[in-house]
Amino acid sequence: MIRRAIALAWLRVRREKGRTILGVAGITAIGALLFDMLLLGNGLLVSFRERLDRSGFDVRVIASESAVIAGPPIERVTAKTAILRRAPSIAAVQRVRLGSADVEGVQAAHHVTVAGVDPDALVPWSMIDGTFPSVGGPPAAIVINRNMSRVFHLMVGSRLVLEGRCGAALHPLPLQAQVSGIAAFQNDATDALTAASSYAAVAALCGESDSDRADMLLIRSNAAAGGADAAAAAARAALPDLHVLTNEQIVERFSRIEFSYFRQLSSVLTAVTLFFGLLLVAVLLTVSVNQQLGEMAALRALGLSRGRVMAGVLCESALLIGIGGTAAIPIGGMLSIWLDHILRSLPGIPADARFFVFTARALAIHAALLVAGAVLAALYPMRLVAVLPIAETLRREVVS
Amino acid sequence: MVAARDISRVFEMPAGPVHALRRVSLAVDAAEYVSVVGPSGCGKSTLLHLLGGIDVPTTGSVMVDGVDVGSLPDNARSAVRLKRIGLVFQRFFLLPMLTAWENVELPLAESGVGRAERRRRTKDLLEYVGLAERADHRPAQLSGGEMQRVAIARALANRPALVLADEPTGELDQATGAQIVALFDRLNADGTALVVVTHDAAVASRAGRTIQMRDGSIVGESHRS
Repeated sequence: MIRRAIALAWLRVRREKGRTILGVAGITAIGALLFDMLLLGNGLLVSFRERLDRSGFDVRVIASESAVIAGPPIERVTAKTAILRRAPSIAAVQRVRLGSADVEGVQAAHHVTVAGVDPDALVPWSMIDGTFPSVGGPPAAIVINRNMSRVFHLMVGSRLVLEGRCGAALHPLPLQAQVSGIAAFQNDATDALTAASSYAAVAALCGESDSDRADMLLIRSNAAAGGADAAAAAARAALPDLHVLTNEQIVERFSRIEFSYFRQLSSVLTAVTLFFGLLLVAVLLTVSVNQQLGEMAALRALGLSRGRVMAGVLCESALLIGIGGTAAIPIGGMLSIWLDHILRSLPGIPADARFFVFTARALAIHAALLVAGAVLAALYPMRLVAVLPIAETLRREVVS
Repeated sequence: MVAARDISRVFEMPAGPVHALRRVSLAVDAAEYVSVVGPSGCGKSTLLHLLGGIDVPTTGSVMVDGVDVGSLPDNARSAVRLKRIGLVFQRFFLLPMLTAWENVELPLAESGVGRAERRRRTKDLLEYVGLAERADHRPAQLSGGEMQRVAIARALANRPALVLADEPTGELDQATGAQIVALFDRLNADGTALVVVTHDAAVASRAGRTIQMRDGSIVGESHRS
């Protein structure tokens, strides 16, 4: 029965071109928006997770649950780093101290974020040009991002003087630095000015050469010894007063707190989009059924069962939504690239962040929503044909 | 073939019940040709709908091949209509997006006839009604007479023992109507029982038996000499 219903519905869809074009075009437009909402609904989260993983570290240790820069630093960090490095489940540890500075001789509007790390440990950036020497100075070796290179006309070998704007000292001594390399930093916004140097150099820049503190510890787990969870457990056991988070926990927290508003917005827009898609197909099918009540009654009179004519309406709905929904995927995909480009160019957005991320899950949800949509859109017109009184309709059609 | 026993049909209307049919009994034998005549609103079409199992009587019973169709569930009644009864309507009710061929083939496909057999029978039926060369035309490309001939071919698709026609020439001019009447004659001569509801005396006169109705009742019956 379903095969015959599909065959007849397909003929109707093919031959009633005006109605089909209208329906499919509407569903394609609405489906593209729906698909984009689904990509957006999870995209930032997927992108965030990818960025965390790309950093090379899978566990982070901070002093409090608040944001890294706003929270208190981790004190006596040298000893704590040494303790962590002894754990078998931990492959590498990096301490990160964050500061900010101005480049001497350049207008103060150009603040530079400076990260201080141990040069002989794994570093959380990718070198584009030059190196990051493990020893050296003065002048202090400094790695800069492309924006710094462009804005301050710096290249490998260039010298600059940084004036610290961090720490307790009001006027720390300027730091003499020499560019040793150009790097891509994970969380850089498109317009960010970022540099990195040794832990000691950044401490000096902030006027705290005698302090032993860091804003964050980055841990790379030993995959052979239990991975991130084992490393996090070891860190928690060793440093019970600190907060230890795996990448997965950070993503979960981001999803639960920061991202929840975004997801709610996306869900509301998805629901509204889907509703309009349903409405469009339901109206098209209802009008179509109402225009063909005589033919429907005749089909019933000729011997087609109630279930058979209902299946016909359902198949038409499925075909219209199926064709439009499938066409919506490439169109939605192209639209998402364009929208992603717009959103990524907003100030303060990390350059490697993506808002619309294609996932199999998004595709599966898109398909499931369309299937549900096809059924829901067909419910009312199916009911119309199901309760159609055959004899009365035939009589009415003849009289009219 | 089909026998209506003491059937009544009452429609509940806002202004009160309307008695469309009052205790009517009628039997149609195999290969018989019966016409039903009477003024508008006398219950002719209602009688036809009840005989065809597309409506059920308020009281009484309609037996098709010894089965009370009124007591059957909807699906079973649909199956009886599909396989045992052919219906021809005044307004043809062909599916507009299907060609003449596809309209005729539809009941065959619905009753599960195989593809090769469907093709053969559809071709034969369109030849039977003289429309083989118009097989690929859609209803909008056919004249009224051609549409009615396609509708008759469709009604004959599953080789029904009984064909019920409701004002089959009502939308046609006299000459085209005559073609349809001639087609019915041939159909009946080939062994199909026919019940034709009509206002047209010329159509009615071709039947072996003519039933006269008035106010929901049979008021007379005549036989062609």
